[in-house]
Amino acid sequence: MIRKLTCLFFFGATFFALAQENEQNKNQGQLNVGIESNSQWYIDDDKIKISEIDAVERFRSNNYIKADYFISKWEFGVQIESYSPMALLNYAPELDKTHIGTMYARYNNTDIGLDITAGHFYEQFGSGLVLRSWEDRQLGINNAIFGGRIGYEFVKGARATILGGRQRIGMGFDLADSFISGADVDISISDISNMENVELNVGTSFVGRYENLQDKYPTLDKMTTMHSVRADVAKGGFYAGAEYVYKSKDALVEGQGALKTILAEKQYDGNALLINLGYSQRGFGLDVNLRRMENIGMYSERDLNGNTFNTGVVNYVPALTKQYDYALQNIYVYQVATTTGFSPYVKAGEIGGQFDLFYQFKRGTTLGGKYGTYLAVNGSFWNALEPQDLDLDQRQVSTGFFDFGRKYYNDLAIETRKKISDKWQTVFLVMGQYYNQKYIEDTTGEHKAYVVAGEAIYKFGDAQSIRVIGQHLWADGDKKNWASATLEYVPSLNWSFFLQDLYNYGNDNKEAQLHYYNLGGAYTHGSTRIGMSYGRQRGGMICVGGVCRWVPESSGLTINISTNF
Amino acid sequence: MKKTILLLFLFVGILSFGQQNKMPNVTLKNLDGKNVNVSKYNNTNHPVIISFWATWCGPCINELSAIHNVYQDWQDELGAELVAISIDDARTQKRVRPMVNGKGWEYEIILDDNHNLKRALNIINVPYTIVLYKGEVIFEHSNYTPGAEREMYNVIKSKVKK
Repeated sequence: MIRKLTCLFFFGATFFALAQENEQNKNQGQLNVGIESNSQWYIDDDKIKISEIDAVERFRSNNYIKADYFISKWEFGVQIESYSPMALLNYAPELDKTHIGTMYARYNNTDIGLDITAGHFYEQFGSGLVLRSWEDRQLGINNAIFGGRIGYEFVKGARATILGGRQRIGMGFDLADSFISGADVDISISDISNMENVELNVGTSFVGRYENLQDKYPTLDKMTTMHSVRADVAKGGFYAGAEYVYKSKDALVEGQGALKTILAEKQYDGNALLINLGYSQRGFGLDVNLRRMENIGMYSERDLNGNTFNTGVVNYVPALTKQYDYALQNIYVYQVATTTGFSPYVKAGEIGGQFDLFYQFKRGTTLGGKYGTYLAVNGSFWNALEPQDLDLDQRQVSTGFFDFGRKYYNDLAIETRKKISDKWQTVFLVMGQYYNQKYIEDTTGEHKAYVVAGEAIYKFGDAQSIRVIGQHLWADGDKKNWASATLEYVPSLNWSFFLQDLYNYGNDNKEAQLHYYNLGGAYTHGSTRIGMSYGRQRGGMICVGGVCRWVPESSGLTINISTNF
Repeated sequence: MKKTILLLFLFVGILSFGQQNKMPNVTLKNLDGKNVNVSKYNNTNHPVIISFWATWCGPCINELSAIHNVYQDWQDELGAELVAISIDDARTQKRVRPMVNGKGWEYEIILDDNHNLKRALNIINVPYTIVLYKGEVIFEHSNYTPGAEREMYNVIKSKVKK
C-alpha cells in the first residue's frame, strides 16, 4: 500500500513539475545520474578459503543506480539497488535482489526559505549525536527515513526542521516497526544580529522513537526521546563548541541474533557531553576534542541494539580518533560501545579526548627547506567510565561524572610531509597505540603496537609518477608483527597500477604467516572510474568514518565501476 | 516491481534534455559558519575549481597542497578560485579548520558533513575535481595523481585565454 501510494505520489509530482515547466518555460531541468557497481569473484587459494555457507555464491555484486531530476524549485529522485546474485560478503542479509532503495520528491524554495521533502530523506541534527540518517555503501549503511520533512528558515540565519517517518532497515521499503519524529532549531546569532568579529551559533534538537512493545513488555514505554542543546563560538583564531544530549530511559538489551533479549525491567537513561576547543592561524592549528557519554546509542527497533551491520542506528556516535591513511595504521581501530551492557563485559560508558596539532615550518628555514615542511601530531586517550555500585545479578550499575576507569584505547602519531624538489615528495610517520582488544571487540587480550611508515613520490615526464610506501607494525600480542610494501605507477593522467603486500610474518601461528598481496589497476576518465584488482583481503574491520563492518578473509578478483552524468 | 523500475527509467530518459547546470540547489555551511548556496558557482566569469576532499584522504591533501604551491599564479594569471568541499563527517570534521590553517591553504572551505552535495552530484570517491567556467564544466576528474594539476592548468588556460 505504502509503495503504491509513493509511486503514485512520485509520478504525480513528476507530471506536476513537467506541467509547471511548460507553463513557466524559463528554467530548464537538470538530470543527474550516478552509477556504481562493486563486484567480487571469490576464488579460494591454497591458504585462504571462504566458508561453505558463503561459497554458495562465489560471484557477488552490489549495484546502485541513482537518478535525480532538478527542475525549478523541485527535485525528484530514485535510487535502485541491486544485490545480485547476492550481496558482497558480510553485508546485511536484508540487502537482497533488486529493489528501490530510496525515492523522494522535494520542494526547495530558497527565496522564501521553505524546504519540503516527501519520501526517503537523509538528515543530520547538529553533529549527529541525536540523529543522523545517511548512506555509506562501503559499509552497507543506508538508514534513510521514509516519511516527511519540512525545513523553514524563518529569519535569515535561523532554521527550523521537523520530520517524521519510519527508518529503512533493509531494502527501500523494509521499514522499522517504529516511528521516528524529530525537530531541530539552528540559529546563527551572529548572522541575525550582524556581529562582525564574532561567530555565534546555537541549536537544539528533539528526537523521539515510538515503538510499542507493550503486548510483550507492559512496563516498557512506547516513547523514547533524546534532547540536545549545542553552541559554537569563534573569535579571531579561537573557537569553542559544546553539545549536550539527554536520552530518556530505555531497556537493556543483551545477546546477539536469536539469543537477543530485551530486559524490560532494567532501564537506563543516557547522556553525552561533547566539547571542542581550538586555535588556529596561518601555519598553525590546534584542536582538542573531549567527550563523556553513557548509554547514548539508539536503534529504530530495540532488538537491533548492537547488531553487527549497523542496521537501524538512529544517531551517530563515532569513535573520536584520527582516521589514518596507511594500511598498517588501520589494523587496530578503536570502536566504541554506545549502550550500557553487562555481557560479556560490563560497559557503563566512555570518557576521553583527542588532540590534533598542525604546524608548517616556513619556506626558507632550516627545517622548512625550499618548499616548507608540514608537521601533524595527533593523539587520543579513551577510557571506560568506572562502573560503580555494580550488581551483576540485578544488572545494576552507576557512574560518576569524572570517574576514569580502565583504558580502552590510546594513540599518538607524528607525521611529516615534505616536498623536496620538483620531482620528489615524501611522507614519514611514527605511531604508537594501545588497544584493549578484550573490551573493544568483546574477545580477549590487550596490545601495544607501533607503526613506522615512509612514502616517496617521484614525478617525471608530464604527469607520470612512481609512489613507494614502506610500513612496519610491531605488536606485542594478537597477530604480532606486520610488514608492508606498496608500489604504484602512474603512466598518465588516466591510468594507474599498483602492487601491494601486507605480510604478517610475526604471527605465532606459522600457518597464519600469510602474504596479503594485491595487484591491480584503474582507469579514470572524466567522471568515470574503472578499477580492477586481484589478491587477498585481510579479514577484520573495514572502518569508514568511525563506523566499522567486519569482513572475512577472502581471495579473488574485485571490480569497481563508477560513473555519473 | 520490474515494470515500475522500467517506467522510472523511461521517465528519466524523457526528462534528460536541456542545458545542464552542474551545481544543484544545495546550501551548506562554510568554515565561518555562513550559509553558501553552491548553485552560485554555476555562472561565474572566472574559473571555479570545485575540489571534494577529506582530512583522511592522502591524495586529496596532495592535490590541494600541489595547487597551493601554484595558487597565487593561478589566481593572478587565470583568475581561478578554488572551493574545497570537505566531506569529513562529525568524526573528523573538527580537524578541518586546524588542518586548513596549518597548511596555510587560502581556499574557500565548505562543509558537506552529511554528504548532501556529494550525493546530489553522485560522487563516489574523493578526490573529485570539477572546474566550472561561464556555466560550463571544462574539467572533471575522479582521482588525483601527481602532476594532474598541470593538466588542469592547461585546460583552464586554454579556455580563459580564448
